[in-house]
Parts: sequence; structure tokens; C-alpha cells
Amino acid sequence: MGADINQSRKALVSLSIETVLRGIGKSTFNEVTRKLYKEYRCYLPDCYENPEYLKRILQELYGKCSGSIIESIKNNLKDMETQKGVDAFIAGISV
Amino acid sequence: MIFSLVATGLAMLVAESISKETAVVFGNWIFLPIPGVLVVLSLIAAKREDMTGSHGKAWISFAVFSAMWFIAEQIWMILEIFYNQRPFPSIADFFYIAGYPAYFIFAILYLQPVKNAITKKMIVASLLVVVAVLVPNLYMTFESNSGEDQFAVALGAFYPVADAIVLAPALLGMTLFFGGRVNFLWSLMLIGIIVEVVADTAFQYFSLDNSYYTGHPVDILFLWTYIIFSFGVYDHIKIFRIKRESLSDKESLR
Repeated sequence: MGADINQSRKALVSLSIETVLRGIGKSTFNEVTRKLYKEYRCYLPDCYENPEYLKRILQELYGKCSGSIIESIKNNLKDMETQKGVDAFIAGISV
Repeated sequence: MIFSLVATGLAMLVAESISKETAVVFGNWIFLPIPGVLVVLSLIAAKREDMTGSHGKAWISFAVFSAMWFIAEQIWMILEIFYNQRPFPSIADFFYIAGYPAYFIFAILYLQPVKNAITKKMIVASLLVVVAVLVPNLYMTFESNSGEDQFAVALGAFYPVADAIVLAPALLGMTLFFGGRVNFLWSLMLIGIIVEVVADTAFQYFSLDNSYYTGHPVDILFLWTYIIFSFGVYDHIKIFRIKRESLSDKESLR
């Protein structure tokens, strides 16, 4: 049961990231997922456990204002920010 | 990029040194391939985004901007070479002017996903730069005693004003994306617009002076704007291109 809930949260976090990246553009989504795989051998849902990978890639692409993109992801997760796992993701991506 | 800038500059100067007629012909024809390259690159960038997301719409706007200026350049050439008419002011100006809102929309849409990072300080600093660019140009316009009709003088003054307006989002873009890979695009956008401001101001000066002709050395600056923009768009395409090797790499893992 606990594992299922965690999987659901992971899927929701992944969906939030995807929504924000696709909102920017198809190329941004493609490039971020490509770099996640190329540099860390992971996929978008894996950012749930490793938010620093996503943060690093966004910084590399968009520099100083990548924080604004991260804020959009965090805003998408506002309703579940206190939930276990999601709070760790938010803390990890905010550092 | 440096090679392209130097080569076009030298080619224009060589044509000018041969004769004024050579400069006019060369100065007209060179505006076919160079703005054409920018149109092709902007269409590639727009196609990559598939019209989705904020950047998808931004690149469509940029393609419209580059197409407008390309059409304007071709009208200029046709009027001067084939109809022996004076190309300024003419219908070409309609397309040049129509390009500015398209460029402005591009910049706004591109910056839209990171709008929360824009601070009041950044806006004030950008506006100060815009005013600093506008003041000398407007001074030059009002102080001139040219024989040009009022419409041509006003039209000539419009361009540096429009350049100054589009300079603001370019400045914001360069500041916002500082340290990121897309910063190169915005640095070149900014440099391109600064070159265009200088070119339009010089064009206005020489037009008021009645010493401007197509192929005049000031046209080098107009060409440089297209080249600088093209390298910016090319770099952006390169960053976000689909890398097939990594996709096949993924396939092999299955």
C-alpha cells in the first residue's frame, strides 16, 4: 500500500515536471530528458529521488533564471508539498 | 561568425571601391542570400518546437519577423534594380515595420516562462538603456534641416525608435539567461539589435544628408545584423537538436 502511494506521488511529480517543461516547449522537454539519460542514465520519474539532476540540467540550459522554472514546478506541487517524498523532492530541488 | 562578418564587410567595401554602380548592384543582391539564411534557420527552429509551448509560439513569431524583413529586402531590390525607383520610402517599409511587433512578440513569448525572475531593477535598467538610445536619435531628427519630405524624415526616425524598444527585452533576456547555454542566443540578439540601432541611425543621418545609396558602407551594419541573428538562431538549433545517437543508445538498452 505504502509503495503504491509512493509510486503515485512519483508519477505526479513526474507529470508536474513534464507539464512545466512542455509548457516551455517541446525542445526543452526533449533536451532535458535527453540530458537526464545521457548524463545520469535516468528518466524523468527518477528526478523524484534525484531532484538535483533536474536542477543542474535546467541551470546549464537556462542559467540564472532556471530558479523561475523550478518555482513553476513547485507551484504545480503546492497541494501535496507536505506529503512524504514530495517534500523531499521540493527540498532537494530548492537547495 | 567573425569570418562571415569580416568577409561580408570586405566584399561590400571592395564593391564600393570599384564604382558606385557596382556597389548598388552588389549591395542589392547580397540582401537576397543573407536574410534568406535567417528565414531558413528560423523556420527550422519553429519546426523543431512543433508550435507547442511558449517557445514554439515564440519561434513562429521570429519566423514571421525574419520573413517580413526578407520580403522588405527583396522589394527594395526589385524597386531599385528592375524599376529604377527610389526604395525609401516605399512599400518595403511596411514590411520592415511589420517585422518589429513580430520580433517583440518573439522576445516576450520566449521570456514568458521565466517572467517571475524579472525584477523591477532589471526593468528600470532596461528602460534607462532604451531612453539613452532614443535621446540622441530624436535630437538628431529634430535638429536636422534636410530637404527630405517630413514623411521620409519621420519614417527614418521611426526605425531607431523601434530598435530601442526591442532592445529592452533583449537586454532582459541576456540578463535572465546569464550563465546558461541559451545565453549565447540572447547575447547575439542584443548585439544584433545594437548594430541595427547604429545602422538605422547612420542610415537616417546619411539619408538626411542625401549621401546614402544602396551599397553604402553603412549597409555592412544591416548585413551584420542578419549574420549575428543567424548565428544566434543556429546555436539555439544546435543546443536543442535531436541527437539520434542517444536515442539509438536507449533502444539498445531494451
